[in-house]
Amino acid sequence: MYQSQHFEKYNLINGVWDEMYSENSIVRHHYKKVIEYLAQESPDDLGKKEELAKNLFMTQGITFTVYNSGEGIEKIFPFDIIPRVITSDEWCIIEKGIKQRLTALNLFLKDIYHNQFIVKDGIVPIDIIYSCPHFLREMYQLNVPYDIYVHIAGIDLIRDHDGTFYVLEDNLRTPSGVSYMLENREITKRLFPDLLPNCGVRSVTEYPSILYKNLLSLSPRQISNPTIVLLSPGIYNSAYFEHTTLARLMGVELVEGRDLVVNNHKVYMKTTTGLQQVDVIYRRVDDEFLDPLVFNPNSVLGVAGLMGAYRKGNVAIVNAVGNGVADDKATYIYVPDMIKYYLNEEPLLKNVPTHRLSNKDERDHVFKNINTMVVKKTNESGGYGMLMGHAATEEEIEKYKLEILKDPRNFIAQPTISLSAAPCYIGGALQPRRIDLRPYALCGPDGIEIVPGGLTRVALKEGSLVVNSSQGGGSKDTWVLA
Amino acid sequence: MPEFKIQHITKYSYDNFVRDSANNIILFPIVDIYQDVIKHDLVITGNPQVDTYVDYYGNEVGSFTNTEPHNQLIINSQLLVNTHARALPVDNMFASEQWNELFNLRYIVPYIDFLKQEYFEGLSELQPVVENERKTEDTPYHTALKFCQYVYKNFEYIKGVTTVETTLDEIWKIKAGVCQDFAHLLMVMLRLVGIPARYVSGYICPNRDGMRGEGATHAWAEAYIPGYGWLGIDPTNNCIANEMHVRLAVGRNFSDCSPVKGVYKGSANHKLEVSVSVGYEDNHLPEEKDIFTASTLPKTETTASRNSYARYMEIVQQQQQQQQ
Amino acid sequence: MLSRVAASFYWLSRYIERSDGILRMLKINYASSQDSVAGFTWEPVIRIFSGPDGELMEKLGNDSRAVLKYMVTDKDNHNSILNIITLARENARSVQEHIPKDLWQCLNEYYHTVKEPKIAAGLKKDDPIGVLDVLIKQVMLYYGTAEITMERGQGRSFMNIGKYLERAIQSIDILDVKYGPLNNNPNLLTDITYWKHLLMSIGGYELYQKTYRGGLEAQNVLELIILNNDFPRSVIYSVNSIQRYFDRLKNNSNVNDYREISFHIGRLQSSIKYSSVKSISQEGLHQYLIRVKEDLYQIGNALNEYYFANS
Repeated sequence: MYQSQHFEKYNLINGVWDEMYSENSIVRHHYKKVIEYLAQESPDDLGKKEELAKNLFMTQGITFTVYNSGEGIEKIFPFDIIPRVITSDEWCIIEKGIKQRLTALNLFLKDIYHNQFIVKDGIVPIDIIYSCPHFLREMYQLNVPYDIYVHIAGIDLIRDHDGTFYVLEDNLRTPSGVSYMLENREITKRLFPDLLPNCGVRSVTEYPSILYKNLLSLSPRQISNPTIVLLSPGIYNSAYFEHTTLARLMGVELVEGRDLVVNNHKVYMKTTTGLQQVDVIYRRVDDEFLDPLVFNPNSVLGVAGLMGAYRKGNVAIVNAVGNGVADDKATYIYVPDMIKYYLNEEPLLKNVPTHRLSNKDERDHVFKNINTMVVKKTNESGGYGMLMGHAATEEEIEKYKLEILKDPRNFIAQPTISLSAAPCYIGGALQPRRIDLRPYALCGPDGIEIVPGGLTRVALKEGSLVVNSSQGGGSKDTWVLA
Repeated sequence: MPEFKIQHITKYSYDNFVRDSANNIILFPIVDIYQDVIKHDLVITGNPQVDTYVDYYGNEVGSFTNTEPHNQLIINSQLLVNTHARALPVDNMFASEQWNELFNLRYIVPYIDFLKQEYFEGLSELQPVVENERKTEDTPYHTALKFCQYVYKNFEYIKGVTTVETTLDEIWKIKAGVCQDFAHLLMVMLRLVGIPARYVSGYICPNRDGMRGEGATHAWAEAYIPGYGWLGIDPTNNCIANEMHVRLAVGRNFSDCSPVKGVYKGSANHKLEVSVSVGYEDNHLPEEKDIFTASTLPKTETTASRNSYARYMEIVQQQQQQQQ
Repeated sequence: MLSRVAASFYWLSRYIERSDGILRMLKINYASSQDSVAGFTWEPVIRIFSGPDGELMEKLGNDSRAVLKYMVTDKDNHNSILNIITLARENARSVQEHIPKDLWQCLNEYYHTVKEPKIAAGLKKDDPIGVLDVLIKQVMLYYGTAEITMERGQGRSFMNIGKYLERAIQSIDILDVKYGPLNNNPNLLTDITYWKHLLMSIGGYELYQKTYRGGLEAQNVLELIILNNDFPRSVIYSVNSIQRYFDRLKNNSNVNDYREISFHIGRLQSSIKYSSVKSISQEGLHQYLIRVKEDLYQIGNALNEYYFANS
């Protein structure tokens, strides 16, 4: 164990991969410089840094608003000052693995909305597709620019006890959190001056310019200055800060549904000098709310007639509509098979073993071993509607089982994966907490690019395995070494 | 080979000016060997550019917009259609063989969509009815006709008793409905025994005695019969839908086939009037006595809520629930 | 500029200006409630900002503390400072990337100040004037910051149009409410305290003293508040300012819309410019004020239609 006062309370968790320490309590090489830097700081210094970080978040307005009984309370997404470090070898695997996965998922979406070869060949069961609420028949035979459906993906990765990376979830609809990747880095630069260049940490700042370049390339009009907008649900959305940040960094207009109107299958935004045609929409509004004419008629966030303009190719929508059929947790099971089917390659990143509860044998198996399982709803994300078998009471389990039996298609189960641990500054000392990793991949006509970094989410509660911000999770800056 | 002249007028009147309307219409008859369109005149207020495309179910859908302030929208569709009678199923395959064939269609596109049962509370009461009606030796064709008769006999046809919002549960309770409810009920029964069933919207061309479903768009169901294909069955009139029925669209349910739907902005109430009149080509159109009786079929959604506070709360709530 | 963004600038400003008017009005009226216990009533103040509402008046019972609570921190009063500032802040939030950070922070601070428990507590039991001054200072900070930091572009023009439109309407409402009782109570015409309070509540007392040497007269007060070009709260000054900032919106792509509104504003401007106390009396003050207010509303509606896309 490293001799420093910060590490007195650092007890490795049994059977869990620790990002900083190897099994015999030797600091892993890639954490050495960070640890040396920290060792020079007194606990008091670290406390001050933590305070500084909080102030920076607050004064820069990097907040989200939680609404309780009509009152908006501004909160900051908890930030742990100790960076999470990833070696260039590890990153290499992640990068290749995600590119491979995303290539297959894009092919899958194109296939499923056109010829459905993969279904006809019996690789993905048809009932999975046709019973998925996010399989949108409105997208059938609709051609999207360059056959790209997933322009922006947030792939959630976790590490098992032996350090192997697993894909936990593919977020292919409107993944959020990338602004925290960017802001966390800006704040770390202030907290640990000179440490980043000393360690050789790769930069993440290119993200907005890559995204902008990709959005620009999708413009249906071949003009020098197409209009690109970011469509936000509005100020009450918890990710509104992210929407303003991205719009500002890319220099595009931040719009709401009511700013847009469709006329003769073209989309326009309403300006003080009249209507201005819109070419590309980076939307952060869910499919169901995008066009009240076609989807949820009560939506006030969308634009009536948008799907018509989209079908005619007069506007590009990012991410494409209907991607939910590919990141549904029941479809997830078949992603490794998709990689083999479309690319004729072995998957580089593993899936977490997953049981379909609509299959009776698998359901029986899960019910028998429920204490070692995590059960999830197939079309929920953000840690909602989960059952953690090891932590649930008998009563909770029985109630949940009844819910499963009502509609087993909507549930999957996975064995509890341990999640790796990383040092966090908590209560004046470093303590291990469980983490995951969400890198952001950008897919454009020139290929897939992943900025070296991502959002490391951390379960700040001792012993907790849930990293979602809605469930008491926080985040860390994520360093990828050159 | 009868020729029909059909006039279908949909008229929205708003008590205030509205803007930014976007509309989808499914008013283009299906063209196949049993039905062709000789002439189709479509006149819409403001002469908007109508773009058409073919949807997932093969229906031709037209869409148009109107951003200017307006207080009226009239869609006048005038058709000259030629229909041909189709021979009825011979039904000479063994029943078991036919049921077997249907069973094998369970996971085949497009049948998978037309077998998915929408849940409703009356299902547990309908199940024994279905089992009772169907005899093991019955072919799917026979079964479909029996179910059609069951719906016809056990439900009362009352114009205007239900709206497009009425749920199957309510219809089951009041044991009455209009053509689309009859069609939905028949589809539920067919799907329960594994016969793929789809919804059809269109027009009924009455004989001299008159038929139910005149004066508005009509709806019925189609059942998939092995060795034959899709067979139109009209539970509202307890008959096979053949050359007297003009098909506009097919789908899983009403909302896939909604003849006219639209969304607009503005705080106005709207009144909807629909009229359909049918005549044989050699005759004049019948007296338009039925014209502009309010119907409930087409649907318009407005983005204006009950009041600005309700609208505000709705916006806040929707904005908060978007996330991944 | 997006129509919604322009509308947010405009409404943001209207709300701020309204809060300023309310706070000053409350401050002076509270002071006068300490002066003349018998004749004082809060009724005009309530009427200006909540409309005529007998039930409400009865509930508040002319109790200064109750009125202050109602007007400043009451969540159920849609024109309370708390609600107005919340709306102003929401408008600012939706255009956050278009306004200087300093201005946003200023407004944010105003909002948090209003919400502080000590404001409500102070209005209940401490010196209300001190509390109102804290809030008035927030408005002044906001105006100062806006003046220093706002880019001289379209956004600022819409802000200022909103500000002066709101101000003109307020001045008109105050006059209408204060001159109304004269018909039934001619004694008020010579009641010096009455006119002094009116002038003080819109910050015109000092200018009046300098302009008119002969003591307080109803006619002169009227002239100052409607027709004085140098009085920043006069109707004519506000309308001139609307004209000035609207003029800056002119560009090539919206000539017709521009002309239409420009005509409205110009017509109103000259109709006020060529009024006199005498001509106003001939028309009848109430009728005159109603007419000017109608014109101002029309300008607001036209802006909504042509520039804000009815948002």
